[in-house]
Amino acid sequence: MYGMSTEAPEKAGDEGPSSGGGAGSGGGSRFDLEKETELRFEVEAGERVQLELLSGLAEVFGSELNRNKKYTFGPGSKIAVFTWQGCSLSLSGKTEVAYVSKDTPMLLYLNTHAALEQMRRQAERENERGPRVMVVGPTDVGKSTVSRLLLNYAVRLGRRPTLVELDVGQSSVSVPGTMSALYIERPADVEEGFSVQAPLVFHFGSTTPGTNIKLYNKLTSCLAEVFSQRCEVNRKASVGGCIINTCGWVKGSGYQALVHCASAFQVDVVLVLDQERLYNELKRDLPHFVRVVLLPKSGGVVERSKDCRRETRDDKIREYFYGFRSTSFYPHAFDVRFSDVRIYKIGAPSIPDSCLPLGMSQDDTQLKLVPVSPGRDLTHHVLSVSCVEDDAEAGESRSRGILESPVCGFIVVTAVDTQAQVMTVLAPAPRPLPRHTLLIMDIRFIDLK
Amino acid sequence: MAATDIQPEPVQIDFTKELLSSSELFQRRSRSHKIPVRGQKEFLPNYSVQQKACLQKTLDEHWMLMTEERLERAGNLVNAEWIPEEKIVKLQSPAGKFWQTMGFSDQGKQCLFPEEALYLMECGSLQVFYQDLPLSIQEGYETFLSAETVTFLQYQVFGHLKRLGYVVNRFDARPSKQLKRKWSRSPSFRLCAKKSTASPEVSAGQHKGEIKTSVPYSNLETPGQLQRQQTFQDDALKSDPESDRAPERNWWTNVSRQLQPDSLQTSEHCWDFSCIFFPDLGSYSGNRACLPPPDPSLLPGALQVSECHLAHWHRNIHLKEECWSKQKWQRDQERNRCSINDDQEVCRCRNWVEYLELLEKRRSQQHNERPTHLGEQEVMPLAQPGKCSSHRELLEQVSIIQSYDLLVGNSRLPGSDHWRITFNVYQPDTEFKKSYPGKPYTHLCVCSFDGPVPDLHALKELSFQSGDVSVTFAVVDHGDISFYCFKEFKLPTDVY
Repeated sequence: MYGMSTEAPEKAGDEGPSSGGGAGSGGGSRFDLEKETELRFEVEAGERVQLELLSGLAEVFGSELNRNKKYTFGPGSKIAVFTWQGCSLSLSGKTEVAYVSKDTPMLLYLNTHAALEQMRRQAERENERGPRVMVVGPTDVGKSTVSRLLLNYAVRLGRRPTLVELDVGQSSVSVPGTMSALYIERPADVEEGFSVQAPLVFHFGSTTPGTNIKLYNKLTSCLAEVFSQRCEVNRKASVGGCIINTCGWVKGSGYQALVHCASAFQVDVVLVLDQERLYNELKRDLPHFVRVVLLPKSGGVVERSKDCRRETRDDKIREYFYGFRSTSFYPHAFDVRFSDVRIYKIGAPSIPDSCLPLGMSQDDTQLKLVPVSPGRDLTHHVLSVSCVEDDAEAGESRSRGILESPVCGFIVVTAVDTQAQVMTVLAPAPRPLPRHTLLIMDIRFIDLK
Repeated sequence: MAATDIQPEPVQIDFTKELLSSSELFQRRSRSHKIPVRGQKEFLPNYSVQQKACLQKTLDEHWMLMTEERLERAGNLVNAEWIPEEKIVKLQSPAGKFWQTMGFSDQGKQCLFPEEALYLMECGSLQVFYQDLPLSIQEGYETFLSAETVTFLQYQVFGHLKRLGYVVNRFDARPSKQLKRKWSRSPSFRLCAKKSTASPEVSAGQHKGEIKTSVPYSNLETPGQLQRQQTFQDDALKSDPESDRAPERNWWTNVSRQLQPDSLQTSEHCWDFSCIFFPDLGSYSGNRACLPPPDPSLLPGALQVSECHLAHWHRNIHLKEECWSKQKWQRDQERNRCSINDDQEVCRCRNWVEYLELLEKRRSQQHNERPTHLGEQEVMPLAQPGKCSSHRELLEQVSIIQSYDLLVGNSRLPGSDHWRITFNVYQPDTEFKKSYPGKPYTHLCVCSFDGPVPDLHALKELSFQSGDVSVTFAVVDHGDISFYCFKEFKLPTDVY
């Protein structure tokens, strides 16, 4: 990833109100958890909460906690600390809610993991490929969390699974509006999530697959193809299999996209979270050899509002440029001449069917590259820098290339000067741009704070 | 008042008659010099009094204009001599302002082409003598205009454009100007080469530009060829998308595509889910309400957990009752009826490889079942349904006439004398220099309204002569001049 370092930023260790140490000191509260229970808490807006494991063993979404290490969670975090064996925890800072729950589906998830691990063993034994798992369900059922959990468990057993992130709205790998794949080599950091060392990112350009479902399906196929290629040359990746995290759109075209994804990745297991209707439909529309599993959602899952989702998206873009909690990276601002770059938008306006000749389908307008003439309305838009070679020839062969090429980074247009024909961009690396083919996103990012 | 008649010397007899009194002179000079504006053209007589009167008035004005004697100061007139052997006019007194855009120098002498001289005579800036006698304008028309110099039609166009302010000079059609330029130094050659040459000075001045212009000439073939090569390349790429894609796909590994794609996933492979237990609430039944505790070796940290009771979760699963409109519900029911697994063939598939093969087979079968009325008869549709996957392909298939570049393959054409470019035209407002005229605004081909419309052959030939400058046709219809040009446009090759 262009300009993305993998080093964990400095922990803001001394920022919390409490000095830590003993239980209950400095406003910290102590929780003693029995085995197979979890502590759920939400951090209030504008606050930070510090968590410390005092004794026993505990994990956050599958990542183990270190004893006597302070973990800081920023505003709006919704965390569940689970223990299989029992533990005591200390929590300091303002939480919106904090309670211990016995009612968690973790045992079901663990059994799911065990089944997947069995499949990996079989794959290893028989020189086959490992399980390819698709996690589906409506919005706010914990798809991303289950994916993270299963990946963490797998990687803790020495597997090398791949996370395929198809949720264009709330991507956990890259900025929103992208579809990506990430080869997981170590468990997720408790605070930061998976290290995004070398993800493969494709430009989608919008936060919902509905804006261009054709492109969404095409990029899904692209990712599947690349993943299969990797499996061919990397035995560990092949055995590790993949966990595909999908969008919460499960009706109409969204459902069709799920079926397409299942067939593109040739998935072996589909985990349906909390919707029996979707479960039944998938059982009907996927061939019998695909195991469709219905799982409950955790009671700790919180519904996120639209605003909350937008904020998360904004934070994700900010994190891309400024690093985790805006502390580790220092992006560059510089001018780019219009003549130096080519900006495209994917998807031409559709033509009415009556204007089309016999035997033509309208679909391919969605995959057309439309050149965008730079103007004032470009301001604040996020642009993907495509990996496609600059000297590639224009024309049909090229437009295929751009669509199917991954992204090497992102920039944000902060100002446009139409008179001087330059735009000022925020970029993770100093000038010049590594490539000059830019793809415009619908997503805007205003660089404040 | 050193005013005098245009023809003072030869008409000795009526000398007194020809002299003007000062009051007469004053009257004539202060008269409006505007050309009367002609109204809308009417195509058919409607025999009305109004039309007749209007027509008569216009005619009267016209005749008045024609018969009027024009006065110029003798001192303002430039004197020149008509040399019939060379078909040029040599100046005998220094040229006026017109020298900026007209005329040429030959062996230190300032010369004018006949059309230029005639135009200047009409403007009242020049007086031409032949055998020491001044020529009237009528004589000028008779003497200067011929098939060897410029024709009457050509002169009409020349005069029209000059009056509008354009800079007009003769077009040099010879591709090898440099060679001619050397020859044109000798005056004897000019005698016979006069027909279609531009002024030697201009062509000499163009020498600098020639290097430039000679490049387009030699390149005339190349852009087309290049284009063709490119399209061939594109075709090659299109026809072989695999080879095209492979080199782009090396961001994860350099050894992609080398291995057999399905070497790992054999078609025999399938999972035995009867011994891999998923905690599936959907297939919950009473006798399997309890999952045995998984083998600790499968779990991170060698966890030891108890057995998993599904009953509790099964009760709590969120069965969201969604509001469906009746229509949607019905449609949903209809979809519900057929599961793809009811199909025997699908049931026989053991894994994705077999299943996708089956789907592909079915798809190709469907493809073959084409409607019988297409393709069976003599008349066939240009594009078969389903054969094209993009607009571009479709447009390629339905194009019967290949698009044609006027500049391609011109050098092999036999030349014809009928159509040739007569004039270079330059924009009025540009800083025109005779020594370095630059690229003309357009090339002019003069033709009569009675003549034929240029055919493709003529167009090709003219555009070859013209190079990258556009060709405009000036069509003269009994004094009315209209300008036409053929615009080249590309048929769409794709829909955006």
